[in-house]
Amino acid sequence: MPVDRRRIRGPDESQSPYHFISKESQKCLASGDRRSDDSQRGPLDIRPIFARCGLNSQAKGSAYIEAGNTKIICSVYGPRETERKDETDMKSGRLVADMRFAPFACHKRGAWVQGNEEKDLSLGLLESLRPGVCLHKYPRSQIDVCVMVLESDGPALSHAVTCASLALADAGIEMYDMVLGCTVRHTGTTQLLDPTFSEVQDDQDGVFVENQGSVTLSLMPNMNQVSGLQSDGVMEQESLKAAVQACIEGCYKLYPVIQHTLLKTVRKNAPPSEN
Amino acid sequence: MATVQVSEAEKLYVLHGVRDDLRVDGRGCEDYRHVEVETDVVSNTDGSAKVSLGHTNVLVGVKAEIGKPKPMVPDEGYLEFFVDCSANATPEFEGRGGEGLGIELSNTLVKVFSNKHCLDLKSLCISPGENCWVLYVDVLLLQCDGNLFDAISMAIKAALFNTKIPKVHICEDEDGGKEIELSDDPYDCVRVNVENIPCIVTLCKIGHRHVVDATLQEKACSVASLLISVTHTGMVTCVRKVGGGSLDPESIFEMTETGKRVGKALHAPLMELLQKEESLGSKRQKVGFLG
Amino acid sequence: MSPMKLCVPGERLCSTEDCIPGTGTYLRHGYIFASLAGYVLRKNEGEELPVMSVVKETETQLLPDVGAIVTCKVTSINPRFAKVHILYVGSTPLKDRFRGTIRKEDVRATEKDKVETYKSFRPGDIVLAKVISLGDVQSNYLLTTAENELGVVVAHSEAGAQMVPVSWCEMQCPRTHAKEFRKVARVQPEYLQA
Repeated sequence: MPVDRRRIRGPDESQSPYHFISKESQKCLASGDRRSDDSQRGPLDIRPIFARCGLNSQAKGSAYIEAGNTKIICSVYGPRETERKDETDMKSGRLVADMRFAPFACHKRGAWVQGNEEKDLSLGLLESLRPGVCLHKYPRSQIDVCVMVLESDGPALSHAVTCASLALADAGIEMYDMVLGCTVRHTGTTQLLDPTFSEVQDDQDGVFVENQGSVTLSLMPNMNQVSGLQSDGVMEQESLKAAVQACIEGCYKLYPVIQHTLLKTVRKNAPPSEN
Repeated sequence: MATVQVSEAEKLYVLHGVRDDLRVDGRGCEDYRHVEVETDVVSNTDGSAKVSLGHTNVLVGVKAEIGKPKPMVPDEGYLEFFVDCSANATPEFEGRGGEGLGIELSNTLVKVFSNKHCLDLKSLCISPGENCWVLYVDVLLLQCDGNLFDAISMAIKAALFNTKIPKVHICEDEDGGKEIELSDDPYDCVRVNVENIPCIVTLCKIGHRHVVDATLQEKACSVASLLISVTHTGMVTCVRKVGGGSLDPESIFEMTETGKRVGKALHAPLMELLQKEESLGSKRQKVGFLG
Repeated sequence: MSPMKLCVPGERLCSTEDCIPGTGTYLRHGYIFASLAGYVLRKNEGEELPVMSVVKETETQLLPDVGAIVTCKVTSINPRFAKVHILYVGSTPLKDRFRGTIRKEDVRATEKDKVETYKSFRPGDIVLAKVISLGDVQSNYLLTTAENELGVVVAHSEAGAQMVPVSWCEMQCPRTHAKEFRKVARVQPEYLQA
């Protein structure tokens, strides 16, 4: 690659200075009932959510979701002709999910090209959404779901799932059910629903905390089916079970908000004529 | 992913069998296929292992190299995973066909190992902030007949058990510069503590029940599976739903319970086998590939 | 009139004993569920039970289905088939481009072996056709014009003027009075809405 010699290039790898601040100054983990983001919510409350549909006029359907500092936008295109024709199963449609982070979304600047982590999240998103979409109604075609995380504060996958299912519904893609996502952070014996970035940070002081981990779950609320489940960290099976249960409850708390958002979008347009 | 086509009648046959706790190859729902583990199979690696699980065959090589620690954790080494889906396993992997699966597998391995519990990463540090050991874990799929995750995790555990990292000393020269000195004795090496390394158990939901170690045929009958990585104490380090279907919460609880039980039971015989092989040293009988 | 009921995907609407599932719904365990976000419509269509359907404000995305009448534009022809872009399904415009093929054998119902594609279509023609197959992995949608009502509806002559049909196989340019061959459709009033 030609190099512009007039320009002084920085080192290949650079770090944000904020990484080296002592952890104590940032640390404000939930003590008692109050959460780190200084809101009034308790450990088992989700962040207040703002959601809207139909912002992107170019796309078939779109949605925007905001939970605390996490901001996600999603567009749905299609159904359109499949690009790849090597699929043997032409009877049902193909769902394609793509999840990306804006370079400025996280604390550390990301690259524009999709990294391994984003590919993994895209796969997680796809597997969470697929059970909810009536793909057999779209033979020979492809539905594209593009999620862009504008700002990330805490695990983004759960909100991405919710946002994507809103966008799919806005696009008029037939679905068996809405898909809602929720994350819970388990530390020791405490559970924090919908954690922020500082809450999922491992304690870097070298103290190893037993039984710590995060669980992300996607739920189809009417069918009471779990369409996606991912966890990391080290947890006992009992805590895992409790975390899964907490996630399911979190999803049910989320449902009225999402329902309301969708109905509001439908209501904006004139009802069909009676005939 | 390598798949087989299954007719409706075959599906029903498998489904009814699973309902009565009898699978096509005569196993019960919680039985593994015949497992063979062989360590130290590739001489150019620092540690290697080959695991065959029925007709699934994987080879893992571990190479230790000196690298720079990550700035966020200056006193730890790290692991790098790479899974290669070569066209050997199935012609579908030819060209870029296996790329997606390879990324999925290696990303899952990163998730499974991304906690301080599994491996003492501090032991891989040579001098904080400057040098550390990087363990490159390369997984090669030789044959695919379902249940790749379980076979790979067993092979990784065996390969890391077999890994011998050469001993190094840090000596300072006159100018105060640091130098890494490799021990002259090739047998002077450190081992990795693999006690806490988890094994992955994949549970496939078939009908109302779930089975472990599903063959490709059984996998084709199931809409969703759950993979759980369990340590020898029964701690769960990673859970993931894979496949296009969904599961009801009750069956998830049942599956994690089975996964924990099966996974816990997997460790003791594996460690015993590895220790036995180690004690035999050069006397042990070599099986070789696809033997 | 009370305001119309709204629903979101996954909402249970009613039992199959009360209604017949229509568009935008699906059946599960004997109940009708919504699969779209929109207005719930109950219509009596002469059957014993009313039809329950969910309608979104905009027309729901239709895909070309077997038996559907589509309006398409010819993009290229060769001796064996004509390639087209499907523009409308029924009277609903498609947002995305779908490609189709009209094989030589499917141009007309009689004397199939004497069909010459370049005497039936020209690139740029607007054609009414019917979907006969969704095609397989290699091919696109397969279409047919082997009905009197199907075929070319709009065509331009070499001089660029819009031609008028003079028979089922010829069209004439109003400017030059030159005749060109086409598989002309006898347009039915119900298709004219498109």
